[in-house]
Amino acid sequence: MYFKKLRKLGVVLVIFLILALLASCSQAQPTSTASSPSPATTSVPYTPKDEDYIIRTTQDWPTYIDPAVGNDMSDEIALVNLYDPFVFPTPQGVKPWLAEKWEISEDHLTYTFTLRQGVKFHNGDELTAEDVEFSMQRLLTIGEGSAYLYSPYVQDCKAIDKYKAAITLKKPFGPFVNTLSVFFILNKRAVMEHLEKPGPYGDYGDYGKKWLLTNDAGSGPYKVKEMKMEEYLLAEKFDDYWGGWDPNAPKFFKESATSEPATEYALFAKRELEITSDILPWESYQSMAKLDGVDVAIYLGGMQFSIMLHTKKPPTDDVHFRKALAYCFDYDQVLKIFPGSLSKGPVGSNVPGHDPNVYQYHRDLEKAKEELAQSKYADKLDQYPVTLSWCAEVPDEEKIALLFQANAAELGIKVEITKKPFGSMITDAQSLETTPNASIVAVSPDYPEAGAMLMRRYHSSTCGSWFQCEWLQDPEIDRMIEDALETYDQQERFQKYYAIQEKIADLCPTIWFLDYAEKRAYQSAYVYWPTGEAAKLNKAISPLVGYDVYAHDMKVWPEKRAQLLSKP
Amino acid sequence: MSLLSYLVRRLALAIVVLIGLSILLFLIARVLPGDPARIALGPRAPEYAIENLRKQMNLDKPLYTQYYLWISNLLKGDLGLSLLSRRPVQEDIREYFPATFEEVLLAAIILSIAGIGLGVLAAKYTNTWLDGIVRIFAYLGIVTPAFIWAIILLLIFGYWVPIFPIQGRISPDILLPPRITGMLTLDSLLTGNWVAFWDALKHLILPSLALAMAPMAQAARIMRSSICSDLGADHVSAMTAYGVPQNRILTKYLSRLSLIPTISIMSLDIVALFASAFVVELVFNFPGLSRYGMHAILNKDLNAISGVLLIFGALFTLITIFIDLIVAYLDPRIRLQRRGM
Repeated sequence: MYFKKLRKLGVVLVIFLILALLASCSQAQPTSTASSPSPATTSVPYTPKDEDYIIRTTQDWPTYIDPAVGNDMSDEIALVNLYDPFVFPTPQGVKPWLAEKWEISEDHLTYTFTLRQGVKFHNGDELTAEDVEFSMQRLLTIGEGSAYLYSPYVQDCKAIDKYKAAITLKKPFGPFVNTLSVFFILNKRAVMEHLEKPGPYGDYGDYGKKWLLTNDAGSGPYKVKEMKMEEYLLAEKFDDYWGGWDPNAPKFFKESATSEPATEYALFAKRELEITSDILPWESYQSMAKLDGVDVAIYLGGMQFSIMLHTKKPPTDDVHFRKALAYCFDYDQVLKIFPGSLSKGPVGSNVPGHDPNVYQYHRDLEKAKEELAQSKYADKLDQYPVTLSWCAEVPDEEKIALLFQANAAELGIKVEITKKPFGSMITDAQSLETTPNASIVAVSPDYPEAGAMLMRRYHSSTCGSWFQCEWLQDPEIDRMIEDALETYDQQERFQKYYAIQEKIADLCPTIWFLDYAEKRAYQSAYVYWPTGEAAKLNKAISPLVGYDVYAHDMKVWPEKRAQLLSKP
Repeated sequence: MSLLSYLVRRLALAIVVLIGLSILLFLIARVLPGDPARIALGPRAPEYAIENLRKQMNLDKPLYTQYYLWISNLLKGDLGLSLLSRRPVQEDIREYFPATFEEVLLAAIILSIAGIGLGVLAAKYTNTWLDGIVRIFAYLGIVTPAFIWAIILLLIFGYWVPIFPIQGRISPDILLPPRITGMLTLDSLLTGNWVAFWDALKHLILPSLALAMAPMAQAARIMRSSICSDLGADHVSAMTAYGVPQNRILTKYLSRLSLIPTISIMSLDIVALFASAFVVELVFNFPGLSRYGMHAILNKDLNAISGVLLIFGALFTLITIFIDLIVAYLDPRIRLQRRGM
């Protein structure tokens, strides 16, 4: 009886599966969102539809599209496309954007910005100084996202008239204008209409945070069409964008959650993905590069990989011991593991303010032995193994760890390697005792200037965070960094950055080994991507995350995509 | 003991299990390394923002107070705010659970029918080439993890012979059915939206098949072994001697006996699919609860971790009870044992 029932059920399932298969084989929908892979497989001449003008990319998830909340790479990619920044970063510095010009008071404490007129928000409202005031106050009150850049410096932000806003600083901050490339302006009216009360911000309720999870209040080139948490952001072109449009500019922009390399490869090969994420294994990019009409853009993005050495824990508390490790490390081998170029000092070589003459350690075993001989641990190496942590989420770091271990063994130094989830590394970095002797970490600057990197990496205020596992805590370096950041004149400030870099190099708290190259495969046959083209010509690219995937300046030719798809 | 009293006893025990589970989950979520507020807001967030969040999340209170607040809110249906999605956890569960549920449901259907069917087939044709094929398939199925199956299926049916979609739950050009249960296949069926139904089903097939492969192979192996071991039993020899046809012995008498261990193991496998679906959901970029749970663990999203694990725990308990009832129904010895006979 049971078997009969089972048989009947089996028959039903087989029929069900056959129907499903038939359904999947037939093209259910003739509509042509660009996700339909075969616009050119029919014999009917192909006419591109609006949906075919799309740029799709992938990035880690979740993505926060609220400028007062998000600030990692996937957030920044979304934000630069949905919102307008105050100034726009370029490899040479920042250029006026929403702020057309600015005046600075003699004491360098008050910046008066004149706004571009006629800028429209996505709901049609005009962008005014009141929105600037609201956006800064909201950012500082919430305290998330990029607020940490402004909260130590900004006293207040006030609208002077409709198109003028003044920002007053608590103390001089030389690169202040540069930091404004991550200051995005929201529409005050739109946010205030969507406050959820009660909330943690008093009269402002939740300050519109819940609404801004899936909606935007921006003036950027794209506006949210659909935001699926944990899945994707689909944005459509904002026709009234003040920056105008090229006829071939993408009409849609889609940022999806990163999946497995095989999935990304399959989507890319089916031309359902225009620009890949930047965190695939190197082998995936090499496979993609073999596809017809595809290029892999490799470009320096400002991120620097290094081995941070704990300067307060034996045996790496001894400068000679640290220098011995720096001299024994085989830097050239790193380029076989990661794309990029070898580092030169504590700041990435493409970051403005980098000192081109700073001393860089290189592999020299004789020097390494000399330094080790001067170390107080020279004859007690067996008692002082070096503990090293690498980040489990970046598998290639293991190769660096093993290389470091093998190199150190040449000096008789024992290295104990531990693979740790990034969350554990963050926790370890919170106290002097739990931070290991060596940590392999990659860090990027917050804004395009050396001061950002120096402050983040070596100022005492960042001890206890994963940015600084060195625990340098050097009052002289703190003073020099603060002094440089308070210097308004750029030339003078850069000279001060140079001096700091030389002093830090002399203390050797870190083994700087790689200026990491971002890499993304893209469909060069039917997509014009300024970053990809600049990378081909070896031109500099803004080291600020997110701006490399600014869709407004891209172009797309759907008919060329159709041709590619029609090829057998 | 009647089935009803058996059910009541099991449900009462389940409540005790769930209370214990809630304490365990609460503690486990809190011993994971890292400060949740710091992880949520980033290493450079100002201290006042971190403190505000700690207060909002009650993290500034002693552990027992935190548990009391958490459990009393839980009883009101409030699982707290997710640090990851910045929404109430129950909203997230409501959004993602139906996706995983229909994915696992289809996997369960596939593995039950194909697993039992293949097992019976292999037993019927023991030591023939057909049995050999089923055995090889079973070995391969068991030793290959679900995410490898996911990648293999994705490459075969999503890339080389592209008949199935490889990401998401539904194509962007398909009109979504109105939300009734949250399960796109069911909602589209209920609203008569056949286009959406087929499209949602197509999106489900590869993830469900990838999930079903290993437990299906295991079920086939257990079913085959169980039938084969009973083939030499006295009662089978007696039936053969009386001239009962072999097919009848196999389908009417032996299958029922062999279903008992198979169903017991299969039920555990099916429940385990909820938790292990995360890699498959990652491969197919499928927005389900398992993937959400994995992100929650990686980001130390306390409320989300507790919420997701509690849902899976409750589900595990309920399905185990349900399967025990089926087994008790199938096997009178179990009921009789409980009567002390």
